[in-house]
Amino acid sequence: MESLTDASLKALSLLVSGDAELWAIISISFGVSLQAILYTVPAALLTAYALAHFEFPGRRTLVSLFHTLLAVPAVVVGLTLYLTLSRSGPLGDLKLLFTQTAMVLGQMALSFPILVAMGHSALQSADRRVWETAHTLGATPLRAMFTVMHEVRYGLFAAVIAAFGRIIAEVGCSMMVGGNILNYTRNITTAIALETSKGQFAQGIALGIVLLVLALVLNYSLSTLRHRLAMQA
Amino acid sequence: MKPPLFLFRHVTKRFGDRVLLNIDEFAVSEGVCTLISGDNGAGKTTLLKIVAGLIKPDSAKVRINDIDMSWAKARARIQRNVVYLHQDPYMLDTSVERNVAYGLRLHKEPRARIYEKVADALRWARLDHLAHRNARSLSGGEKQRVALTRARIVNPSVLALDEPTTNMDQQSRISTYQLIDELRNEGMAILVASHDQTGLTPIADHHTQLISGKLIEAELAFKRSRGTKITRLPR
Repeated sequence: MESLTDASLKALSLLVSGDAELWAIISISFGVSLQAILYTVPAALLTAYALAHFEFPGRRTLVSLFHTLLAVPAVVVGLTLYLTLSRSGPLGDLKLLFTQTAMVLGQMALSFPILVAMGHSALQSADRRVWETAHTLGATPLRAMFTVMHEVRYGLFAAVIAAFGRIIAEVGCSMMVGGNILNYTRNITTAIALETSKGQFAQGIALGIVLLVLALVLNYSLSTLRHRLAMQA
Repeated sequence: MKPPLFLFRHVTKRFGDRVLLNIDEFAVSEGVCTLISGDNGAGKTTLLKIVAGLIKPDSAKVRINDIDMSWAKARARIQRNVVYLHQDPYMLDTSVERNVAYGLRLHKEPRARIYEKVADALRWARLDHLAHRNARSLSGGEKQRVALTRARIVNPSVLALDEPTTNMDQQSRISTYQLIDELRNEGMAILVASHDQTGLTPIADHHTQLISGKLIEAELAFKRSRGTKITRLPR
């Protein structure tokens, strides 16, 4: 087993030399997570707006449900999706198990409650006067919704960043429904888990560095947005 | 005499057990400024929002062009014609220019035409020097002028103003009254809700008091002849 120093030096060398396998893993990770976020954001924000803006029976229960779903472990989502997509499952005929599509679906399921819960909080904090001003100046309900979203955009960006941070760093769901296939479904987290189990730490450390840098960038973006939110308030 | 633009009849609104509004008749007429006074919580804001189509009454009829219809049926028409201004107007988090352009951009007018109209409107309100400032950084009086300009540019028939001069210094109040007076002279119907009965009388043609949910005709404390410019406030 290599020492931590040796492994770290090798990791840096892999990153700097542009190792093809390493960068393929990184690009799969970003590709899958960005797709998942892009597909989830519209439906999640519409749901958040409906929960924040309309009164209907069961609204509070739904809000509580989404907050509860925040705590569901990724492996549970992975297990549910695995059973659904496996050959004997209800969607088995689609043959999606161990594909990037399955990983995207899993990450969509993980990011949806985060986007709804955080989006709902941001939209609920919107001043009622925004909606009234938009309406009285002639906005349609759809246009008024976009105006309200624009006014709380920093809170909504924060929700997107938090959801992206969660899905790009999850391992359980991607491992179960992706299958960790090299150059196809192996992403940063599943690769780290695999390399560590083999006692090969260099690639794991290199990928860990990428995740750490990403976490740093996301956290910096979040704190900047929070600062802007505070200024807005 | 011209018929009113809108004649609201049998307007009721309850909050729980409390009857907030129980109004038999309320007319909104072209070129007339009506002052609605009443204590805090009397229902002035609720009445204005019902008139602007923003709050649903428990019951109400509206007569438009001699045709009676339910408030719900008249709502779309009301919303097209009435602009409501909050006591503390909401400024979108953008420049004064874009705030004023908001209503025009909704109607997809050509960009060049929009900004031509906006420039004219800002000059009218003497706000052109603030065009590129973020509207949230303005004083209360300036915000109210931006809100009036933003409303005027969409050319409504009725302007419903909720306590438009609260917490303003004397000069800002005079400037606001002057703009409202000009709008009234352009033919707009103006409804002003205020608990300050004397302060707003320089621009009012009628005064009505909201007491226990009912509208009661009242005297104007100060009657100014039309056409004279407002340069000071009545004592």
